[in-house]
Amino acid sequence: MTATVTPTSTSASPARTSAAGTRRSGSKGRPSTIIVTAVLVVVALYFLIPVYWVVVAATKSTEDLFSTNGFWFAPTVALWDNLAQVLSYDNGIFIRWFLNSVLYAGIGALLATYFAAAGGYALAKYEFRGRNLVFGTILGGVLVPGTATALPLFLLFSQLGLANTYWSVLLPSLVSPFGLFLCRIYSQATVDTSLIEAARLDGAGELRIFHTIGLRVLTPALVTVFLFQLVGIWNNYFLPLVMLSDSGLYPITLGLNNWLSQVDRLPEFYELTTGGVLLSIIPLSIAMVVLQRFWRGGLTEGSVK
Amino acid sequence: MTATSPTARTGQVASAQPSARPGKRGDRTGAASRAPWLLLAPFLALFILTFVLPIFVAVGSSFTKVTRSGLFGEAGVKSEFAGFSNYAQALADGSFVASIGRMLLFGVVQVPVMIVLCTVLALMLESASAKWPGFFRAAYFLPYGVPGVIATILWSFLYVPGLSPLFDVAALVGLTPDFLGANTVLWSIANIVTWSYTGYNMLIIVAQLKAIPGELYEAAKVDGASTWRVALSIQLPLIRPALVLTTVFSIIGTLQLFAEAQVLKTVAPTIDSQYTPNLSAYTTAFAYNDYNVAAAQAVLIAVAAFVLSFAFLKFTNRKSS
Amino acid sequence: MSQFTRRQLLSAGLGTAAVGLLSGCATPGIRSVNTAPVLAPAASGEKITLTYWCWLKDAQKVADIWNASHPQVQVEVVWIPGGNAGGYQKLYSALAAGGGPDLAQVEMRSLPEFMLVNGLVDVARYGAQDYAHLYDQTLWGQVSFSGGVYGIPQDSGPMAMFYQPAVLDQVGGTNPGTWDEWAALARELRQKDVYLDCFPLGDASVFTAFAAQAGASWLRPEEDGWVINMTDDATMKVARFFDQAIDEDLVQTAFGAYSPGWFAAAAKGTIASVVSGSWGDALIEGVSGGSGKWRVAPMPTWGGSGFGSSYLGGSTAAVLANSKHPREALEFAVWMTTSREGIDAEITNSGIGWSPSPDFIGTPRQAPSEFFGGQSYHQEIFVPAAQQQNKDWSWWPVTQQSFNILSDGFRKKASVTSLVDSVAAAEQQIMTVFRNKGLSIRKEAS
Repeated sequence: MTATVTPTSTSASPARTSAAGTRRSGSKGRPSTIIVTAVLVVVALYFLIPVYWVVVAATKSTEDLFSTNGFWFAPTVALWDNLAQVLSYDNGIFIRWFLNSVLYAGIGALLATYFAAAGGYALAKYEFRGRNLVFGTILGGVLVPGTATALPLFLLFSQLGLANTYWSVLLPSLVSPFGLFLCRIYSQATVDTSLIEAARLDGAGELRIFHTIGLRVLTPALVTVFLFQLVGIWNNYFLPLVMLSDSGLYPITLGLNNWLSQVDRLPEFYELTTGGVLLSIIPLSIAMVVLQRFWRGGLTEGSVK
Repeated sequence: MTATSPTARTGQVASAQPSARPGKRGDRTGAASRAPWLLLAPFLALFILTFVLPIFVAVGSSFTKVTRSGLFGEAGVKSEFAGFSNYAQALADGSFVASIGRMLLFGVVQVPVMIVLCTVLALMLESASAKWPGFFRAAYFLPYGVPGVIATILWSFLYVPGLSPLFDVAALVGLTPDFLGANTVLWSIANIVTWSYTGYNMLIIVAQLKAIPGELYEAAKVDGASTWRVALSIQLPLIRPALVLTTVFSIIGTLQLFAEAQVLKTVAPTIDSQYTPNLSAYTTAFAYNDYNVAAAQAVLIAVAAFVLSFAFLKFTNRKSS
Repeated sequence: MSQFTRRQLLSAGLGTAAVGLLSGCATPGIRSVNTAPVLAPAASGEKITLTYWCWLKDAQKVADIWNASHPQVQVEVVWIPGGNAGGYQKLYSALAAGGGPDLAQVEMRSLPEFMLVNGLVDVARYGAQDYAHLYDQTLWGQVSFSGGVYGIPQDSGPMAMFYQPAVLDQVGGTNPGTWDEWAALARELRQKDVYLDCFPLGDASVFTAFAAQAGASWLRPEEDGWVINMTDDATMKVARFFDQAIDEDLVQTAFGAYSPGWFAAAAKGTIASVVSGSWGDALIEGVSGGSGKWRVAPMPTWGGSGFGSSYLGGSTAAVLANSKHPREALEFAVWMTTSREGIDAEITNSGIGWSPSPDFIGTPRQAPSEFFGGQSYHQEIFVPAAQQQNKDWSWWPVTQQSFNILSDGFRKKASVTSLVDSVAAAEQQIMTVFRNKGLSIRKEAS
């Protein structure tokens, strides 16, 4: 924070490629590469070992789980038995939970992104009375913890007869104040007002302009908002816990915890839980690894500007 | 990213011209003033339903009190205005206040640790010395895809003696750790949170680092600045917005802590049913059936989150100006 | 123009909704079902389905036996987590939302809490008193309040001591008859690095059961409100006893019975015994390599005073407030808990606790047990234990909160506060909780 590099020398240097050049020249320091890589490997072990453990644990029977080394496979591999049990237990309730999660997270994130985009675009591209009030209120919503509203929301939904239905989890998932915040900033920065004016002259309606021009320009930010909301809903536990009492409506997080809470009386649930944990982290982990490259877009745009 | 087409630029000129169809002019402005509300409508409707109304409900029921007469309330139940008595009761509840204190302690330790860790990791990954940055980035980010409950189930297996191989490893170096003891369990939870969110925060910072123009590095090189110097003088100041963002989210996240404590409670007898503020509100509502005091607690949690993040934003703003 | 009307519409709608919500009816559980007219039985020929939420294993198999012979009244079982581990939270939230099952498993001690939120149907209005003679009278007393009946006893947990004779034999000991002998034995076992038992600081129900055994009766309903006395001689004796046991390191406090750590220690023989409810047998059978090594003995007594045993746990099948068919739900609950086929099915499928029917303990429980070295411990130990109970004990409307208050105090035992002091402090806090709910309570005049 103390000193800043004098910008005078910037002009002398040729653009872009040189940045990569600078970095590459730095990698000649062999010892630093070894040290940095060693540290990165150790940290990677920290992040990966629990996942490795669950892969190993899912291959074991309950007896082996307690009697063999947790970091290595038992002589008898019970993986397929365990997974078959996970998928077939209670008429395949696990698959139902999984589909519920897909439904809540998929539809929730898709619609939330669309609504946030429309709202953010409207707040960025139109001058109207009450704009600042609306934006300020929504911004306040970003800072209110979702779990603090869950309890009163439950009381509200009980009155409306919505508690313990798909809607009770889906409706709150459709709102992403942070997504709207990002979309507004991104709209301000990237959606060209002249483009909108041109479209208006061509006789296009306002909604049509948003759908054809707005959404297209906003796409990078939308991907970020979508992923953000998708993971947020997928990981949500408090809201469904408060709202749902029918286990047929559970998302996977609630379902697996339901199994875990039975292990102290019925040890066979250890197998079900470890198998279920493995199955549930596979799809999202793959998604995370593949999608992390798309993540950057809007988030930084949002914070830089 | 989509580049603006040259034709669009010409449109700006056209807009200055008077409308070709004057008859429709009134219609136009009507549509233009209606449009933002139309676009905002779905979001606003849902926002009012799921944010504004619940806050009204919470505030309303936090000022309501239910009194019962008879041994079990069988002789009548009445509901009346309570003033601040629910708030007084929430704040007089030692366990609830203790849970807030616990979260402050947690936040003061865990948030800086995680922010420093993810910043260092981001800088290392973006430094010239890192090998296979793509692999590491993916590995660190992976836990973010594991929901908090499932991460806790996973770690709880690693905390329980008799099940966890960590104890065998610790025994090799002569240690007998107790991850679930009265003084350690809070840090076991901190570990789960750090494990889950470091990669995510790191990615935000990496994204911001990538946005730093190459010219700045070039300039630093010409000046003969060391890697340290570059990190301190260029990278850190420029990723400040990302650091502020991640810190605010972490503060809010800390006050929301629930799943980790609730799930770990089954294996850790030292975690009581009011271990975190949220768990406390949940217990008050659904185990003690005191929805009014629970509402007061929810309001207090929201206010605390609001004040803390607001104070942090103000603090960083003042520092930068 | 249209913008204006929309805004008007919006604020009007918001206003009405808010007024409706703020007007008190937003607080769930303040309408009583037991002043409403009695619901008629289902018309003959009408097929109904009852839902039953419980945490028993394979309870659907029990219901299926009923279903086979009652085509008009089908019972569907939904598993919920046990009691305060999450089941009650689900029940309360379902009740608050105006739904919930017809029947639910509710522990004896939790009945008054459910009554407080108007969650239970008084089944005396549907003829429950006709079945009273089929049940153990101590248990029937625990489900009867102010002239009503709020649950059908489903199981109970008379206490006894499960122990490993070979481990006690290391110091030439045998099962202790009194708690003083128990302490002496524990002291000797500590020389061999063995704990006789655990004392759970995080779960006050065990301490409560010990106090009830010693003759305590913490709360009782009177005409003018509740009367509390948690600092009576019996309770203080128990608190002092375990204060000393913990100070002398005679009991394991790092983990509670039936936790993973306990199973490991029990298998290794570093935990010698457990004083627990009758339902503990099924759990002890999960101790690896334990077959033949365990026996059952009567619970140690407090010498001249108190009772031979106590109840640890015990649950009911209660008819919930939003049930459309309370009469049929009651009939199913009575069949399940008193018929021979019902009791046997509950034992074989669900491993249920002690039968509430004094006439029939269940066929599987009449045979000697191989795991417990051929001992017929049900007949021998638990039948008498179920009769040596504290009949004055009654539960009160904030038991869960009371237990949490107690165990919060107990957890501080490690650092500063003695059990004696925490019990006294808990009494004050529990009185505050009562008063906050508007219930009147006074301290027993001594």
